[in-house]
Amino acid sequence: MNPKAQTGLMPADSASGATLHTIVAVMSFLACLALGGVLTLGRLASQWTDGLSSSVTVQLMPSAQISPEDQVKESLRLVNQWPGVFSAKALSRSEANALLEPWLGKGNVLDDLPAPQLIEVTLKPGEPAELEGLAKALADSVPGAQLDDHKRWNAELAGFATSSTAIGWSVLLLIALATLAIIIFATQAGLRTHREIVEVVHMIGARDVFIANEIQSHFLWLGLRGGFIGLFIAIVTLLGSSMFMDSRETPVAAQYLPQLVSSPLHYVWLVLVPGVMGVIAMLTARFTVLRVLGRMQ
Amino acid sequence: MVRFENVGMRYGLGPEILRDISFSLEKGSFHLLSGPSGAGKTSLLKLIYLAERPSRGAISMFGRDIATTPRDELPALRRRIGVVFQDFRLLEHLTVFENVSLPRRVMGEFEGHYRAEVEELLQWVGLGNRLNAKPATLSGGEKQRVAIARAVVAKPELLLADEPTGNVDPEIGARIIRLFIELNRLGTCVLIATHDQRIMERLPATRLYKLTEGRLTSGQVSDHLITEAKRA
Repeated sequence: MNPKAQTGLMPADSASGATLHTIVAVMSFLACLALGGVLTLGRLASQWTDGLSSSVTVQLMPSAQISPEDQVKESLRLVNQWPGVFSAKALSRSEANALLEPWLGKGNVLDDLPAPQLIEVTLKPGEPAELEGLAKALADSVPGAQLDDHKRWNAELAGFATSSTAIGWSVLLLIALATLAIIIFATQAGLRTHREIVEVVHMIGARDVFIANEIQSHFLWLGLRGGFIGLFIAIVTLLGSSMFMDSRETPVAAQYLPQLVSSPLHYVWLVLVPGVMGVIAMLTARFTVLRVLGRMQ
Repeated sequence: MVRFENVGMRYGLGPEILRDISFSLEKGSFHLLSGPSGAGKTSLLKLIYLAERPSRGAISMFGRDIATTPRDELPALRRRIGVVFQDFRLLEHLTVFENVSLPRRVMGEFEGHYRAEVEELLQWVGLGNRLNAKPATLSGGEKQRVAIARAVVAKPELLLADEPTGNVDPEIGARIIRLFIELNRLGTCVLIATHDQRIMERLPATRLYKLTEGRLTSGQVSDHLITEAKRA
């Protein structure tokens, strides 16, 4: 009679194993959502700041010294010949109305308000324009002209994006630490439960590393299995929320709220989560086992 | 091979359960260890198989002073010792084959290397048809034979057995003793802790260590048997 394939040194503890799988799966799920959020925030922040830094706006306040038409004409002439400027375009009344509509509502409100005429200036990518000089030239040559280089908005958005990303990474770190603590607890509990096995194997000449290898492989598979379960649930959740956002019933959400995972590339990053979970579980179990065994004779 | 000099041992702050133990076991020798329950036989064996450290005195194993041997070098010494535990200490989730081959697996050998040897050994102890059985399904005698097979599978230089024939019938008991004698002829030093008169009767010329209240005395088995016969 041939013996069956060799089983692991540690028995597969079904009760605590199921609980641990569930906990690791939940941690993996939360990690996927947090990582998705961090990646999306990073992408949005770069889109926002890129959009703002690639354009500037010239505001033309009504002035008694120059007619509005000359004000626009002179500003466009000056801006268009400035180095680093790609194009400049005066906004029409209807375009200005569209910009103010979210705050002031529909209607010909600009007729009753001393709103400035706006010129949208697009800068050449990779060729930085000397904006301080342009602001000074406009102020000197065109009465009532002011240059808004979006610096304040840029700084605020960059600050918001940085702090949000930092919060996201902190959440990920907390999840990793919680997983670490759970695995340490589970490994110590496992060693207590199976102390008899560890003692026997120790007494017949097993090195600590041999015992640690046996136990760490058990936790590696546990981490990977739990991690993939969490990833699967996270992907289902993200695809579900994406479909919900895109549906006609929620146009406001679709327009203003970013989706948690906004690029197919982000899903590739999410696939790394179970691997990281497995490695965390494996290394934590290894160091815990070696520490506990180090106290034995 | 094994040398104890004035060794004393206590558990924690409790009383000293082994006192001034001095003896030596030479390569290829055969010894019996006897004494009433609670005399400290199992504790003495634990010191020899390096599961405990002495409270005082010096122990030398295979030429190494245990007090100065680094912890990471102890496994190499333990691999030279085979132990039959009184309570067998089989791993319940492993099969008979896996339990017996554990010392070879721990040494890093591949199953293909030792499979035939382990199967032959299990045939020899009468368990050739129980290779895939789990310990929970074995009788006390069968468990004892698995424990003995595990202790001898790596051909240890020193074999320690704590009551190895306590749960087996006379025929299997005789076989086990023959196995120990055979191993001893091949050079293994054997120390058996036992109360079993049958073992003593089979080995009258053997050195007998007697533990009484933590103290060790030595003599010949034949002298012990004569004393016991007179007392009866």
